[in-house]
Amino acid sequence: MKVLIGIFLFSMAFTRAALAQGDLEAALGENDFNDHEKVTATFKSGHLINGHSIETVYKRELEVRIDHRFGDIAGDNGGISRFFGLDQAADVRFGFDYGISDRLTIGIGRTKGATAITQLYDGSLKYRLWQQTVDQHVPISVTLYGSTTVTGVEASTDPTSATAYSGFKDRLTYVVQALIARKFSEALSLQLSPTYLHRNFTAFNDQNDLLALGIGGRVKVSRHMALVADYFLTFRDRAKKEYLEAMSLQSFYNALGVGLEIETGGHVFHLNFTNATAIQEMQFIPETTSSWGKGQFRWGFSLSRRFSFSQRGV
Amino acid sequence: MKKKSIMLAICMGLILPYSWAQHIWVSHDAQVSFYSSTPVEDIEGISKSANSALNITTGEIIFKVKNTSFAFQKKMMQEHFNEDYMESHRYPVSEFKGKIAEVEQLKQQGSHDVVVKGVLQVHGVSKPYATHATVVVKDGVIAASANFKVKTADHQIKVPSIVVANIAEELMVQVSAVYRSN
Repeated sequence: MKVLIGIFLFSMAFTRAALAQGDLEAALGENDFNDHEKVTATFKSGHLINGHSIETVYKRELEVRIDHRFGDIAGDNGGISRFFGLDQAADVRFGFDYGISDRLTIGIGRTKGATAITQLYDGSLKYRLWQQTVDQHVPISVTLYGSTTVTGVEASTDPTSATAYSGFKDRLTYVVQALIARKFSEALSLQLSPTYLHRNFTAFNDQNDLLALGIGGRVKVSRHMALVADYFLTFRDRAKKEYLEAMSLQSFYNALGVGLEIETGGHVFHLNFTNATAIQEMQFIPETTSSWGKGQFRWGFSLSRRFSFSQRGV
Repeated sequence: MKKKSIMLAICMGLILPYSWAQHIWVSHDAQVSFYSSTPVEDIEGISKSANSALNITTGEIIFKVKNTSFAFQKKMMQEHFNEDYMESHRYPVSEFKGKIAEVEQLKQQGSHDVVVKGVLQVHGVSKPYATHATVVVKDGVIAASANFKVKTADHQIKVPSIVVANIAEELMVQVSAVYRSN
């Protein structure tokens, strides 16, 4: 009997000790925090430098965005006589993006246009398909982007020109992207942007359909500053490319942009350098003819401001 | 026979202490909110998924809230709150560990005003706090609530100069929880 009581007391003491150790904290249950929390702020803006990022605008928020690209800093069209490109506005875009929901953003924009095709009006849809989670349940974020651009430029009478439009349909261009990104750490995010581009009408012997791959990233250097870069690799038909280059006496280059991002609570500024003259995907992907190597890169900036139209009460 | 008795003794020994665990009451949907008021802007962040536990025998109390669970009227604020101010990737949880002095009142039905003393850890910085709290004990439920003020500077939360006019130096913090026997 004594033995039984001994065993009873021993096992009791054992359990109590275990309980005391875990005490209040154990009662809370750490597992409650396992909720596939989403990774936010993979990028701080809807754009990297030239291309789009996976980020959408939150519900009932409006992002007003102004992009500007100056003329060539160096090379034949740059230098001190052109004040290192600041005398010229290569391209300008005003954009408005609104969050229908946290996942779906609609946008409109007006761009000057940097090639023969000017007066660009665009409408876009951006949909956040997957969002990376902190616990790696979803390891990457995927956002789908689609836009339609219509040009208001006067139609050219030269039938080989890129603007020899015969009807409204010819003026339309489409861009579809699957934006895939991962925030590797607080300081590093990388993105791949497979892109499909369709132009209803092109210059003679140019491609209506084009595929491109964008590669980009963001490295945070301080609490409010980051380095951002992106590069678009365009897959062209070789024979057609050579024909176009011979006809225009220009070469095609891939667009490379690098910049400094400064974030100040609601505003995001990008100070960047890029060889692309154009801001819109439908132009800088197929028609970048300026090269970093020839000094044909330019200073550009973008500034975006968020406005919230949320009602009170969360 | 003897084997059975031993098993019984072990089982009793293991099970009985669990009835004592009823000293610990928990809340998994406690609410924590903070309010910043300036002439420029009023900002409120609310979390409705804080965890809290209360030992009604010793008066010990603990609150834990995940910083990313705070919701704001403007969604951008939540991003800034976690990224810039709380640095939630480094300090994911804010917690309070303390003790209620008037323990005996936790077992008496009715509404009581009690004093809670403890340590609040926010943004990796711990600071002692003492505040009055209201505890209502009724029919197997304990409801507790408290208000107190927290200075952002006390917890080394840096507010950039550009938004210094928008964020109050002292935030009003409100906590409330409904506890049930664990």
